[in-house]
Amino acid sequence: MRHKQGGRSAWQTRRMNKLAQSTPSTSLRDNPFLTAVWAIVWKDLQIEKHTRQTVSVMVMFSLVTVVMFNFALETELDAARNVATGLLWATILLAGTLGLNRSLAIERENQNIDAILIAPIDRRAIYLAKVISVTIFTLLLELVLVFVFIIFFDKPFWRPIVLLVLFLGTVGYVAAGVLITSMTMQTRSKEVLLPILLLPLVLPLILPAATAVGESMVVAPEASIIRSMVSLVAAYDLAILASGLFTYHLVVES
Amino acid sequence: MSLVKLNRWIPILNIVAAVTLVVSLGMNFFYAPTERTMGNVQRIFYFHVGSAWVGAVAFFVALVGGALYLRNKQRIWDTIALSSVEIGLVFLTIATAAGSVWGKPAWNTWWDWSPRLTLITVAWLTYAAYFMLRGAIEEEDKRARFAAVYVIVAFVTIIMTYISIRIFRDIHPVVFGGTLETAEGASEGLQDFAPGLESMKMGITLTVNTVSFTILYIAWMFNRIRLQYLMDSVDSLKMRVATRLQGGKA
Amino acid sequence: MIQISGLVKQYGFNPVLRGVNLHVSKGAFVTLVGPNGAGKSTLMRIVATLLKPTAGEVKIGGWLMPQYSDRVRRHIGLVSHQTLLYGDLTAAENLLFFAKLYRLDHSADRVAQALKRVGLAARERDAVRTFSRGMMQRLTIARATLHEPDVLLLDEPYTGLDQDASALLDSLLKRESENGRTILMITHDLVHGLNLCDRVAILSRGKIVQEIANGEVSGSEFLDIYAAQTGRTVGMANKAHE
Repeated sequence: MRHKQGGRSAWQTRRMNKLAQSTPSTSLRDNPFLTAVWAIVWKDLQIEKHTRQTVSVMVMFSLVTVVMFNFALETELDAARNVATGLLWATILLAGTLGLNRSLAIERENQNIDAILIAPIDRRAIYLAKVISVTIFTLLLELVLVFVFIIFFDKPFWRPIVLLVLFLGTVGYVAAGVLITSMTMQTRSKEVLLPILLLPLVLPLILPAATAVGESMVVAPEASIIRSMVSLVAAYDLAILASGLFTYHLVVES
Repeated sequence: MSLVKLNRWIPILNIVAAVTLVVSLGMNFFYAPTERTMGNVQRIFYFHVGSAWVGAVAFFVALVGGALYLRNKQRIWDTIALSSVEIGLVFLTIATAAGSVWGKPAWNTWWDWSPRLTLITVAWLTYAAYFMLRGAIEEEDKRARFAAVYVIVAFVTIIMTYISIRIFRDIHPVVFGGTLETAEGASEGLQDFAPGLESMKMGITLTVNTVSFTILYIAWMFNRIRLQYLMDSVDSLKMRVATRLQGGKA
Repeated sequence: MIQISGLVKQYGFNPVLRGVNLHVSKGAFVTLVGPNGAGKSTLMRIVATLLKPTAGEVKIGGWLMPQYSDRVRRHIGLVSHQTLLYGDLTAAENLLFFAKLYRLDHSADRVAQALKRVGLAARERDAVRTFSRGMMQRLTIARATLHEPDVLLLDEPYTGLDQDASALLDSLLKRESENGRTILMITHDLVHGLNLCDRVAILSRGKIVQEIANGEVSGSEFLDIYAAQTGRTVGMANKAHE
């Protein structure tokens, strides 16, 4: 136990140092907002380390989806290649709802959220922490998916611009997802309601994100298209993160 | 606004809405000139634009209602937001159906994933989901709060959908170009169709339609709000009866 | 320490609390009893800053809520009828998480001490999921008192505990009370914990109908008063324990 703990705090220190470099003025270890965010992220990662349930379920679900789609597309590689980008995003969206549901169900399991809410912390820290941890899980899923898609569809998914768009798209999707899932978790229908509410809301994110990924994999990518699509994705990220930070207390408090 | 006031104004509003609706229908058929290339089918266009306009207004009103509810937690704002989304969805459906009927002769297809139709579909899904959310929450206060948050986020994303679709179309003119472009927007469309006096008559008809649809929207809003008042007062009466009965027993 | 005056909470048109007045002085142990549906849990959630009142005042340590909830939160600990623990984390990790949330110094030492205090030091590396109800409840108390709160709120702490676990909980609560914590407990259980407290308040239909100091009346007299005030006959389980 003691040994374990040493490892953790070293990890924490390294992370804090990294953060501290970006904003050198204040000591970040003392910032109450960031310590709260880190506490919750640490807790989520710890749970995932013990159970490995979130990422593994997402990965398995994605693999099943991809294989099913391949059959539906009659396994013609050419046909499959053309829809690979769309398929990648569709898979991420669907698997993402599983991750979101699981991550926020944990907080409702023993009404744990109450224990977090009575702690003297900013509610926005809870939102940000949940966005960070689900984003980490989804990025892990995407790591696997990119590998799988390269093999299955023989397209250059490894290009940096593709990875950048995947990252930005995931942040926006999870930011919208945490806000919506925090609401649907408190309804009678729980998990079922999430995709109905969330998927239409992320269309303005997925449209440019899929275009950007598609464009960056053609033989001669057009930089202007990619640039405008990436800025659309980034704009969505900012808008939705702002809405989330602004309204989250209304969603978790009563 | 009190129930008494509503009761006084609603019959008047209802009559005004009915009359203007009949007038605008009459104008669509007898005043507006027959369009040259499309023929009589074009007459549905006035209806289509009128209802699409009201849809947009209604969702904006819902946004305002939601924001004001979150600010001062007064029930009336939740009622306004709810009523507006309900009515807006009806008008959006009318606009979509009318657009589809117009699309068949115009572009020889009922449906096409053109930017405009994509936007309408997404807006429709987004606001239909609003009722799913409301329906799944028991406690009134929580329902109103979540609905208000959702209606704000929904509006933000609808605006972003609109922007991204515009930019999207600019860079992919091949996909969405050609005949579909002729259906672009109300004003551009009208100018294509007819010059001079005829164009003016069309413009007047369109304006009258838009105004009468807006009046219809307002009348429906008041009716819907009154309905909510009545439902609430029934609830509170039930509660009082229950309390009285309980008190009598002890 | 806790001052509640004219507290009203309404859900829609349904009034749950209709003007509750209660005063708990510093270091006192007050138990609030009442039948299901009397509004106990609602009252507890309001005092725990988890719910906003419709009308009336709640002050903890002189701070008015919900305006000053943030200041109050550091000074309260809550033992809910839910465990508020993460089943997939170990006992130590659960406490460490809350130590981080409250930004406590020497968190590892504090956690170790807290675990020892509730007799769970040997199981610190085990997932909470594997714990018995009684062990979970002890860990819950360790969690709620980790940041040394002035006020400890207990919501039905005896639910689901067997004889031994109840006795252990009794001694834990007694110690917390002796340590000078102000304790407010709510329960529908008329057997457990009542002899620990200084005062019992009866909540019925959203109001406090009577307050009785410990030792003022005998056990059976209390049950009669309770039955008269709440209009409920005392449950079989309670009778059997007498």
